[in-house]
Amino acid sequence: MPERPGGSLAKRPLQFIWIVDCSGSMQGRKIESLNLAIRESIKPMQDVADENPNAEVLVRVVKFSDGAQWHISQPTEVHGFKWSDLDAGGVTDMGKALTMVAEAMKVDMMPQRGLPPVLVLISDGQPTDDFKNGLKALMGQPWGMKAVRISIAIGEDADLDVLQEFIGNPEVKPLVASNVQDLTKKIKWASTVPLKAASNPASRPQGAANGGSNVQIPSPPADVQPSSPADVF
Amino acid sequence: MNAGPQMVRWSVIGQSVRGASHKRSGAPNQDAIRRRYDRLGIPPIVLAVSDGHGSPKCFRSDRGARFAADIACQLTSQFLRKMGDSAPAIVKRETEARLPVGIVNAWRKKVDEDIRKNPFTEEELERVKLYVGASARTALEQGDPQQKALAYGATLLLTAAGQDYAFYLQLGDGNILTVWDHTPQPQVDAPLPEDATLLANDTTSLCMPNAHRLFRFRFQYFQGAPPAVIILSTDGYANSFSSMDDFFKVGSDLLQILRAEKQSKGKENKLKQRMALEKNLNDWLEDASINGSGDDVTVGIIYRQDVIGSENQHSAPSTHSAGAAI
Repeated sequence: MPERPGGSLAKRPLQFIWIVDCSGSMQGRKIESLNLAIRESIKPMQDVADENPNAEVLVRVVKFSDGAQWHISQPTEVHGFKWSDLDAGGVTDMGKALTMVAEAMKVDMMPQRGLPPVLVLISDGQPTDDFKNGLKALMGQPWGMKAVRISIAIGEDADLDVLQEFIGNPEVKPLVASNVQDLTKKIKWASTVPLKAASNPASRPQGAANGGSNVQIPSPPADVQPSSPADVF
Repeated sequence: MNAGPQMVRWSVIGQSVRGASHKRSGAPNQDAIRRRYDRLGIPPIVLAVSDGHGSPKCFRSDRGARFAADIACQLTSQFLRKMGDSAPAIVKRETEARLPVGIVNAWRKKVDEDIRKNPFTEEELERVKLYVGASARTALEQGDPQQKALAYGATLLLTAAGQDYAFYLQLGDGNILTVWDHTPQPQVDAPLPEDATLLANDTTSLCMPNAHRLFRFRFQYFQGAPPAVIILSTDGYANSFSSMDDFFKVGSDLLQILRAEKQSKGKENKLKQRMALEKNLNDWLEDASINGSGDDVTVGIIYRQDVIGSENQHSAPSTHSAGAAI
C-alpha cells in the first residue's frame, strides 16, 4: 500500500483556562479550599482527556487581584499539568483578567483547528475595575465568543449578575459554592463535564433557530450541604 | 461541455469512514458521499459530500447528509444536461443563479417528505426534550419548519468537472482542493475563499434560513489542462492534520500516488484499480480519524485518467494553468 498522503496527524487542541479571583476576601479557607479542590481535579481532568483521545487538553491559569497575570502562562498538556498554590490579597480586577484572556483568544494566537475553549471564572466578590470592558474585549474575539464559559461563585458576596454576564447564556447559571465540600464538588464538575462536552462537540449551525450554548452542557450537580458550620464560607 | 479532440477523461473514487469518537459513543457515520459519472470517464463528472451536524438538535442529520449529497448530484447532472453546449459564461451565470436555490428547496422538500413518511418517534422527541429542552420538542410537534429542518442539518460540498471548466459550491465547513500537475512541482490550492466565521464547531448549513445565499461559489475556466486532481472532504479530514500545510500535502502526495500507478487496460482492470485505490483510501481515512480529529471522515477524489502512470511517461510540456475565474 502506498504511504498515507499528507503531513503529520494530530489531536485537536482544546484550551482550558482557569480564571481565579485572588483578592483579599479570598484569604484563608477560601483560597486554601480552592487550591486543594483544583489540585484534586487534575486527575479527573486527565481521566476525561483519556476518554477523549482525539482532544489535546491544554491548561492555563490567570489570577487576578491588584491587576491580573498568568499564574501558568504556558498551555500545558493536562497530563503534565501541576498546580502551584495561589495566595490571596488585594482588590478584584476581574476586567483586567478577562482582557488578558481576550489576548490569548485572538485568532492568530489560537490554532485554526482547535476545539471550543473552556473558560472557568471563579470569584467571591464584585469586580473593582471595568468588568464590562474586559468582557467586551473577550467577546470581541471569535474564539472568546465560541468558548464554553462557566463561572463559580464562592460564598454569598459573589456578584452573580457579573458571573451570569460572563456566561452569556441564560440557560446556564453560575455555580454557587457555599461551603468547602460544595466548592470541591463544583470545581470538579467545572473541570470535567464542560471539558468532556467540548472535547467532542457536534457541529452547530449558525443562526437564531439554534440558539443556546455553543456546546451542550449537562446540568450541574446539586448543592452540597455543609458537614459542619465551620465549613460555611 | 464540448467533446473536443483532446478530450479529458475523469475518474472518481471516494470513501467515508465512521469517526473514532462516533464508534466510542455509538453514533453512526453522519457523512455522505455521492457521485455521477460516465463509466468511460466522459465529462461531466459530479461529486458531492455532506456532513450531518450530529448534535441532539440535529438528530436526523445522517439522513439530511444523504439527502443533500443525493439531491446535489442529481440536480447538477440534470442541470448540466440542460446546459448542453452552452457557453461557459452562460453556464456560470445559470449555475450561480439556479443551483444553490434549487438544491436547498429540493432538500427541504425531501426533509418534509421524510417526516411525512417517518414521523418523529416518541423516543426521538423525548431525547430532544432531555438534551435540548421542552420548547424544542413542542416546536417539533407543532411542525415548526425551522426546527424540522434543523433536525436534518448538514453541510454540502459539490464539484462538477467538465471538458473545459469546473465549478465548486460549498455550504458550511469542509475543504475542496485542486491539484495542478505543474512541473517540476505540483501546485495545490483551494478554489474557494475561506469562511472566517467557521471557527470551532460553528458551520453554515442547509437548514438555515436563506441557506442558498450562504454558498461559496467558484467557476473555473481551464485555460490550459484541467486540474489533475480535485479533492472534496468533510471537516473531519483537515482537522486531523497538525496544520493546513500538512493537509495541503495530501494533494501533492495523492498526485504522486496516482502517477506511480500502472496504467491498466480494459474496463475490468480499471475497475479493479479503482477498487484497490479505494481500499487504500479507506485505510488512510481510518488512520486520520483515529490519530487525528476522531470525527467522521469523508473524501471524494476526481482525477484525470491520463495522470495514472504518467510518472513513467515522458513529461508533458508544462502548459497547465491554475484556471481563470470568469
